[in-house]
Amino acid sequence: MASRPSSPPEAMLPPRSEVGVIGWLHANLFSNWFNTVLTLVSGAVLVLCLWFGLKWIFLIADWTVIAELGGRFLLGRYNTEAACSGQNCFWRPQAALIMVSLLMGAAWGLQGNRVARTLAWLVAGVSAAFAFLPYNLETMGLDVRVLLLLNLPAVPLGWALARYTPLGTGTRITMLGVAIFFLTLMLMRGLPGIAFLQPVSVVYWGGLALNLILAVGGITLSLPIGVSLALGRRSNLPVVKVLCVFFIEVFRGVPLIALLFMSQTLVPLAFPEDMPQNSLFRAGVVITLFSSAYMAENIRGGLQALHPGQAEAARALGLPGWQTTMLISLPQAIRNVIPAIVGQFIGLFKDTSLVYIIGMLDVVAIGRSFIQSNPEYLANARELFVFLALVFWVFTYGMSYVSGKVEEHLGVGRR
Amino acid sequence: MEIEERNIQQETEDIIICRDVHKWYGNFHALKGVSTTVKSGEVVVILGPSGSGKSTLIRTINRLEQHQRGEIIVDGIELSGDVRNIDAIRREVGMVFQSFNLFPHLSVMQNITLAPTKVRHWSKAQAEEVAMELLTRVGIPEQAAKFPAELSGGQQQRVAIARALAMQPKIMLFDEPTSALDPEMIKEVLDVMRELASSGMTMLTVTHETGFAREVADRVIMMDEGNIVEEAPPGEFFTNPKNERAQLFLSQIL
Repeated sequence: MASRPSSPPEAMLPPRSEVGVIGWLHANLFSNWFNTVLTLVSGAVLVLCLWFGLKWIFLIADWTVIAELGGRFLLGRYNTEAACSGQNCFWRPQAALIMVSLLMGAAWGLQGNRVARTLAWLVAGVSAAFAFLPYNLETMGLDVRVLLLLNLPAVPLGWALARYTPLGTGTRITMLGVAIFFLTLMLMRGLPGIAFLQPVSVVYWGGLALNLILAVGGITLSLPIGVSLALGRRSNLPVVKVLCVFFIEVFRGVPLIALLFMSQTLVPLAFPEDMPQNSLFRAGVVITLFSSAYMAENIRGGLQALHPGQAEAARALGLPGWQTTMLISLPQAIRNVIPAIVGQFIGLFKDTSLVYIIGMLDVVAIGRSFIQSNPEYLANARELFVFLALVFWVFTYGMSYVSGKVEEHLGVGRR
Repeated sequence: MEIEERNIQQETEDIIICRDVHKWYGNFHALKGVSTTVKSGEVVVILGPSGSGKSTLIRTINRLEQHQRGEIIVDGIELSGDVRNIDAIRREVGMVFQSFNLFPHLSVMQNITLAPTKVRHWSKAQAEEVAMELLTRVGIPEQAAKFPAELSGGQQQRVAIARALAMQPKIMLFDEPTSALDPEMIKEVLDVMRELASSGMTMLTVTHETGFAREVADRVIMMDEGNIVEEAPPGEFFTNPKNERAQLFLSQIL
């Protein structure tokens, strides 16, 4: 029998080579010869990429193409003579933007947390910063600049509305958001008969605004539709179940491009010829339904991962079935699949640029058509597309960042 | 006098009646005609080897499992396909599970107040007051704001008991409440159950804790292969079991 020390051994510090900077380097980069080689090779590749990348960005690239593209990048052909003849329609999307800033401010006032505040000021700040672009006043008038600057006071105004008026409840701010979305659509579309709101056909809508409108509509609607489909697919009623499965499998099984084509060629056949046609609306519906089908499967995955004891415990307490679903199953299921849901949102946002195939000029298509119609910039296509990539990345990373914060807030992975 | 008489009558009333209850899982015959009654205020412990149908039996009483033949009458209401009957019975029957089944996305307080506010429509203040009383009763009032994952197993099970009691049930079902616990935590849960039994609650408990059965139970039911094989007061059951299966079972666990 081995003898044991009479008292338990003292706690000791770890060996020096395992702590501090040296320890970190040793543990993570140079732990054995293979990792050392890997570190050196990838380090060399990184340095080369940075060297050529930065050199291209700062010395070789000619970014004037972005400046030349200007407002078209944001709004496409919206504010052209063809779209809005005889008047200047620039103020309508601007007003919509100010409403968005106000909404962000209200969200901050409601939530009161740092992330909401940062986002609100970021949106308003970037918008306001555009007011100082070094264009001459003929290209970008004072009125445009003033409207852009108005985004800044809109944030504290929204904050105050949420804090000091009866508007400051979650439901009401959500309703305000929905109202602002429809108000934006109405402003952009215009109203026949009102002189200063001359209708602008959706074929002239374009640029980043088009991507954002499609994405916001799609994201807000695809979650509730997806949840309904997921619940329907798990329903005990065979008819509901079959319908949901059919819907999901059809929309998930057909490429989005094919669906978009069908929405423009087949769907109009089903309606009378003289009915007003709105390609934007149809594209929005298709993107939303396509995304909902994927969303439904994400949510269903979350529901299936739940321990059956959760629903049993709720039912045993006397909660009726729908309350069990709404209060116990769904909150947990959605929380568990936040990464998949946000992945779907990001995918949806990127997919909005596919509307170019049905002739709508989203931000990517605007860039492409600009290069094609201005051959002097043909050599600068690279700069343009790098810039476009960056714009998409900023938005998708923003979503990713916010979802990370939401997960942190909900304690995902901890409880 | 009248009131007292009525009380006595209620106490001796059969609050759970099972008559010839059958239950199949597919082709597997899990309950083979179980008949028994439980009086109001009685503490019944169900023993038996695993797979004998103990859990299935108590889960049919609040219809987490559906029986296919026979009848079950709980608090005067017969369990049938009628959803309103089922919800009415579930309001009066609390249940505690082996794996606690606390709602991880809700705090301890929210876990307890959820059903009273949503089902009984109490005000939030009233529900929270009752919840604090119950948490004090199970000995963990200081944990109200925490989330289930921050508690030990024994504490979680005590919260689960408080959650069930918050609905002010007439009957409590315990489905192996201590089987998922470390030995040192079993005692704290059994203490709460002991206190509950002495307060006059009608209790149906599936457990392997023979000590608890001996000490607290008014009656022990021994099940085997989907049937009740012996039903007796604990003193009699543990010292002088009549049934062969019960004798074998006791010789194995004691």
